[in-house]
Amino acid sequence: MKHLSEEQIILHHYSEPEDGERIARHLEDCPDCRARYQALQQALALVDRSAIPHRGENYGSEVWRQVRPRLPKREQSSGPLSTLWGLAARSAAWRVPRWALVGGLGVLLLAAFFGGRLWPRSTPVSPRQIATSAHPVSREARERVLLREIGEHLERSQLALIELINSQTNGMVDISLERSLAEQLVVVNRLYRQTAARLGDSGTANLLEDLERRLVEIANSPARLSPAEFADFRRRLDTEEMLFRIKVVSSQMRARELESARAVPGTHS
Amino acid sequence: MMEQSDAAAVAKAREGDHDAFGVLVERHSHALFQLAYRMTGNEQDAEDLVQEIFLRAYRQLGKFESRANFSTWLHRIAANCAIDLLRKRKSQGEQDGVVDPVPPDHLSSLPANSPPPDQAMFHSEIQIQVESALHGLTPLERAAFVLRHFEHKSVEEISSALDLGQSAAKQAIFRAVHKVRRSLETVLDSAK
Repeated sequence: MKHLSEEQIILHHYSEPEDGERIARHLEDCPDCRARYQALQQALALVDRSAIPHRGENYGSEVWRQVRPRLPKREQSSGPLSTLWGLAARSAAWRVPRWALVGGLGVLLLAAFFGGRLWPRSTPVSPRQIATSAHPVSREARERVLLREIGEHLERSQLALIELINSQTNGMVDISLERSLAEQLVVVNRLYRQTAARLGDSGTANLLEDLERRLVEIANSPARLSPAEFADFRRRLDTEEMLFRIKVVSSQMRARELESARAVPGTHS
Repeated sequence: MMEQSDAAAVAKAREGDHDAFGVLVERHSHALFQLAYRMTGNEQDAEDLVQEIFLRAYRQLGKFESRANFSTWLHRIAANCAIDLLRKRKSQGEQDGVVDPVPPDHLSSLPANSPPPDQAMFHSEIQIQVESALHGLTPLERAAFVLRHFEHKSVEEISSALDLGQSAAKQAIFRAVHKVRRSLETVLDSAK
């Protein structure tokens, strides 16, 4: 009789509906698996016994007293940008992965941004034209959104690499989580990289190219590696160097985003 | 007076009504503190996190779908704020060459109606072991575990909250549970 995997036992414990009846029957028949299931239940029962510090009845009011003076001024939600955000928010309801939609929007914005920055205007634009423009989203606002999008993509990539670095190295190393993360990120990364290259931002394109190479390698690696294979894998990826570069570029982007926000009086990010 | 629904309060807050947002803050602070404490394991961090969550929520009110559940939406923001904070902590620890210790506030943070001293000692020992187990998780694993184990969110909800594919969310939960179980094995063995 084939024993249950640890994953199946965990899913069963949390009542995730994957073959639940078959697993329950197996647990009745197989003492080994039943013992493993009970050990898991005992360990998780210990977790449930950990206490949380008590907060008084007025805790909510205290939080509000702290938060209220720090609230930024609200911007009215109208115009193309809020429409884009609305689309992003609705993506969950459409069952479209948010990263895919955000990536798509990011590429559009990237094109708009680099287009606006790199392509010379054929005719000067008068103040009247600006005032009556059908596109009220300012260049600064576009830049801020765009920088945020790329920054978020880099942060997510950073997270995947950090997860990899923190992988457990005693016994076989399971990197299936990092593989899943990398598979998702590769798609968006490729779109950003191609757009950046087409529009001549070689610095961003180079970083994204190096990042993509690593993401592809993670996505295509076996899910489980021996400690020696894992050490070799990490060396090949040079994860630390990549993380350092991402950190540098992210901080440059944050600085540019702040600068861009300052350029628009009364804007809070 | 009839209590204002979350949806109605959000609608007013979006129009700039600070007091309406205050209603939401007062209503959800306790639940968020519990979540934040589970995520960070540190009382001060949890308090800071609760404020950060509300500030981020306020900035993002325009993105909130009125049909959605406000509490679920806050959980999503909370998970991401917590991951950011934990990553920052880990990265600071690595830069300083410091091995992140288990936060020391467990003994002082026992609930007011604590059991007698010997039992309290046993509970605090468990508390330390559990926190140590959770401390060994990566930020993503910890967030996924807290959402699944304490908040009873489904894999689908966790994948949405953490912006992951469902398979990645499952892997994060598997790995977290595996590490927690391994880490608590010694406590269970000593109790036998």
